[in-house]
Amino acid sequence: MAEHKIYQASQDWLKRAVEALTAAGLEVQAPVEDETGGVALKQVESADAIATDYLNLLVPLKRIFFPGTEVILEFENDEDGGVTLNDPPELPDGGVVVFGSRPCDAAALDVLDRVFQWDYDDVPYRTRRDRTTVVSFACTKPDATCFCTSVGGSPQGTLGSDVVAFAATDGGALLQVCSEKGEKLIEQLGDIVTPAPADAALPEAPDVPTLFHTDRVKAWLDENFESDFWRGATLNCVGCAACSYLCPTCHCFDIVDEAAWNKGERRRNWDCCSFGLFTLHASGHNPRPDQAARYRQRVMHKFKYFPERFDAVACVGCGRCVRTCGMGQSLSRTVAAIEANAEVGETTSA
Amino acid sequence: MLSEQTTAVDSPPLIPINYKPMRMRIESITVETSDVKTFRLGFCDEEEGASFDYKPGQFGLYSVFGAGEATFCIASSPTRKGYIECSVKRAGKVTADLHQSNVGDIIGFRGPYGNWFPIDDMKGKNLLFIGGGIGLAPLRSLFWNVLDWRDQFADVSILYGARSVADLVYKTELEEWKQMDGVNTVWTVDPGGETPEWDGKVGFVPTVLQEMNPSAENTVVITCGPPIMIKFTVATLNQLGIPLENVITTLENRMKCGVGKCGRCSVGSQYVCKDGPVFRCSELAQLPQEY
Repeated sequence: MAEHKIYQASQDWLKRAVEALTAAGLEVQAPVEDETGGVALKQVESADAIATDYLNLLVPLKRIFFPGTEVILEFENDEDGGVTLNDPPELPDGGVVVFGSRPCDAAALDVLDRVFQWDYDDVPYRTRRDRTTVVSFACTKPDATCFCTSVGGSPQGTLGSDVVAFAATDGGALLQVCSEKGEKLIEQLGDIVTPAPADAALPEAPDVPTLFHTDRVKAWLDENFESDFWRGATLNCVGCAACSYLCPTCHCFDIVDEAAWNKGERRRNWDCCSFGLFTLHASGHNPRPDQAARYRQRVMHKFKYFPERFDAVACVGCGRCVRTCGMGQSLSRTVAAIEANAEVGETTSA
Repeated sequence: MLSEQTTAVDSPPLIPINYKPMRMRIESITVETSDVKTFRLGFCDEEEGASFDYKPGQFGLYSVFGAGEATFCIASSPTRKGYIECSVKRAGKVTADLHQSNVGDIIGFRGPYGNWFPIDDMKGKNLLFIGGGIGLAPLRSLFWNVLDWRDQFADVSILYGARSVADLVYKTELEEWKQMDGVNTVWTVDPGGETPEWDGKVGFVPTVLQEMNPSAENTVVITCGPPIMIKFTVATLNQLGIPLENVITTLENRMKCGVGKCGRCSVGSQYVCKDGPVFRCSELAQLPQEY
């Protein structure tokens, strides 16, 4: 869609939208502040609890489509050695509308689509994608950990969103429609929204400084799988996986059985390449034997391997990994250091 | 990687992932060594069995319900219909449960996944199989396939080694192959692993390979074994003048999904489960050493 249509809405649009969509039988997910002070997507039926002043969702949008844990099979072992297998309960087929994701999280859906939709169709993921409409809220106050502009994004980016909502100066909103699903949502909203006048201007994007350039980073990575840089640059990583779980593009998973007595279920759970067990062979051989090798994989996968394979950088610059790491291991600082290495032709220092 | 790389751009139509395995009945169990057993599995659903097909070198995910799934190659040949076999070393939770299973028990299988040995390209060539330990399992699928189509290949040789006589797998078949016409067999065990009755070689696989001194002319090598054996075997083959393009191996990286999603088996931008497990050593030389 070359040109995005713009609609306008009055101050109470979100309240009315939640009520109208809920009344139409849709599930509405919106950001709600939890007891920790963080903001998480929760199902809402009114706009009362919806948070509006937040940097980003604590857990990224991906979990709506790719939950941290989900049942993929149910089984029951008989006494005579037999077994009965059942598919997991079907997902509800009703529509879902998500409000309040940030443009970076929505852009990450484009990354996830590429891996979950090549060669094999990941049915649970695709089913959730098909039934969900994403209304992102454009960023107005990014913080110092944000780096979306370094990875091709923008605080007002439209990639992956069906609608992007902007705060208008009159307290209302401007809604930029980015997809057919977005068009349909606008129809469902009826008189809550009206076409914006031709001269309606979207607010100016806040500044997010560019910390590195992905092409220069990849050029260095292409030549420096073996480099002393990795050990020095990754010493703070203790392999806790917090960055991965909170990464909107990380998609590695484990498959495990959870059984009690004779029956149970098979689940797929988020996993992480930072864990030593992730690649450990049954023989004891581990292709990534230390934390430096594992952190290198994290950087290589996002900035070299994924682009080579799927033609996209697997990082959207949301900054969660930088904000969350208890050890101060910063992905953006690491990648910026790589670019600095590339500039001076250096391969050995952090 | 032997087939053309597929990307998100040119891959339709997509195959829906089905995580529900086929139900397989354990038809027989062969004790190979103190910690390796071979299971012959029949299809509980006749229709599934009739439509099941695979190529030598492909793998699957085997389930013991309650313990989980584990990845093994299909060790039997697709020329032998109606069942599949897998050889399993007891190493963790799933394999320990499998080892405790009995004939008649039901386990799960999903697959076949991955690419396969380029058997059609091997026709008319001299084939040299080099296996180490349980690494003989994926070679066995191709080896029986080749034996069943014996007249389509030139010389067929197999060099197999294990740490000790007790660690040799497929002992009955080793004897059978040795007696066969048109197959050159060499069995070896590591120094110290021999018994008084042992009539094979004593020495590491690369050393014995050097003694064999196979001709590089029109030869394709198919090898699988412990990483250390592969490393030195490939170096020896190089000395013997066999180019890396003609050395084919199969990787056994840890896997979960088998269909290029879960990220576990990645080596560089390659998925071992999709682009492999079968690779030419010349292709592996282009990848990071993470296998």
